[in-house]
Amino acid sequence: MIYLDCAATSFQKPAAVNYAVSEAMRTLSSPGRGGYPSAMAAAELLLDCRLALADLFCVKDPEQVVFTSSATHGLNIALRSLVGPGDPVVISGYEHNAVWRTLHGIGADVRVAASPLFAPEAAVEAFRAKLPGAKAAVCTQVSNVFGYIMPVREIAALCRDADVPLVVDASQGAGAVGLDFDGLGCAFAAMPGHKGLLGPQGTGVLLCRDGKITPLFFGGTGSVSADPAMPDFLPDRLEPGTHNVPGIAGLLEGVKWLRRKTPAAVLAHEKELLGVFSKALEGEKRVKLFLSSDPALQAGVLSVQMNGLDCEEAASRLAERGVAVRAGLHCAPLAHDTAGTLGEGTVRFSFSPFNTYQEVMAAVEAVRKILN
Amino acid sequence: MHYLLSFRSLTYAQRAARILERAGITGTVSRVPKAASTKGCAYCVIVAARHKERSLSILASAGVAPERVLLRHPDGTLEAGA
Repeated sequence: MIYLDCAATSFQKPAAVNYAVSEAMRTLSSPGRGGYPSAMAAAELLLDCRLALADLFCVKDPEQVVFTSSATHGLNIALRSLVGPGDPVVISGYEHNAVWRTLHGIGADVRVAASPLFAPEAAVEAFRAKLPGAKAAVCTQVSNVFGYIMPVREIAALCRDADVPLVVDASQGAGAVGLDFDGLGCAFAAMPGHKGLLGPQGTGVLLCRDGKITPLFFGGTGSVSADPAMPDFLPDRLEPGTHNVPGIAGLLEGVKWLRRKTPAAVLAHEKELLGVFSKALEGEKRVKLFLSSDPALQAGVLSVQMNGLDCEEAASRLAERGVAVRAGLHCAPLAHDTAGTLGEGTVRFSFSPFNTYQEVMAAVEAVRKILN
Repeated sequence: MHYLLSFRSLTYAQRAARILERAGITGTVSRVPKAASTKGCAYCVIVAARHKERSLSILASAGVAPERVLLRHPDGTLEAGA
């Protein structure tokens, strides 16, 4: 199989990730619940992972690194802490349902700062126009549909000036596009552990500015147990229940691999493959590529439409030829609506640090075959 | 004799132990004895009595000061605020 659905999950992982998961299941028990070696070793593993993530994302203290089960979980914590029913919230036009549905569920007054694809200045202006009076703002770092690298730094500066807390959805950017959490001054950044961070599914990370956060779940933390209220400090406040120790063990190995390789090198590799793929297909009349004219604005995610071929049918035919991609709306109808692709959807090709030139050219051949 | 430096969470206790380790002071992360934990489960770093003042100074500089300091006598009894 040629796996080009890395925007959904990084199916290929460093070998150390698989080994760490297995070893953790064999040797580690529950952190924060006992003083014996297997519990303390598990606790050490969690701290190692927090420190590695804090270093990768420029977070001052490891306590600000909270483990979640997914980016969606983290976004729910962040948004439910900042926003209540009727509160005005500004979001970009490229948000995932993890943001859009959560705000809808809260009953927030969602204001979409819509702007054209690959037009960062317009995105900044759209936020500038919508921010006054907002209770919070949300911006994805990279569109999961189009790979569009949003101008998060500029939007964060606007939010700081307006004193509006910003939530960054780093689901698609983490591990490839740099994120300076302290430098941005955002309130939260949420990300999955299983995409660009190369960990197992069921892992996620929420970076938090401070401890004044409404917990989503309540329960045992192994700290201040006599108090019926949740601890008022991080990470305990947001981490009740038993941790996903094997998952975090794998996540740590994924992050270690990334720190050795560097996110910049990963991004460069993915962009190179995207360039090879799009260059090879640009002459195909039936193919429409959603490609930025400025390569700096696009990560390793490319949406494609094939004229006369339903996107789901195209993905199905590609799967028959051993090419794994995702079609449809990618859980981001808002992004498709903003880009004008809501009716037809797109086929999404997303590249990873483990994809090769040969795989990309084989995928190009598969696209040509299903079109002819 | 040893001192127990008690922290509000396991994560803080672990960080404190690592900070001390880097300064050449060995500290062991352990659970706080039930009799000394006023709020339920808590963790501490145990250091040799001779390292107490330097440990507290290093941890204060690092912004990871303990909530409580307890002296543990050789017979296991604890003395608060020592």
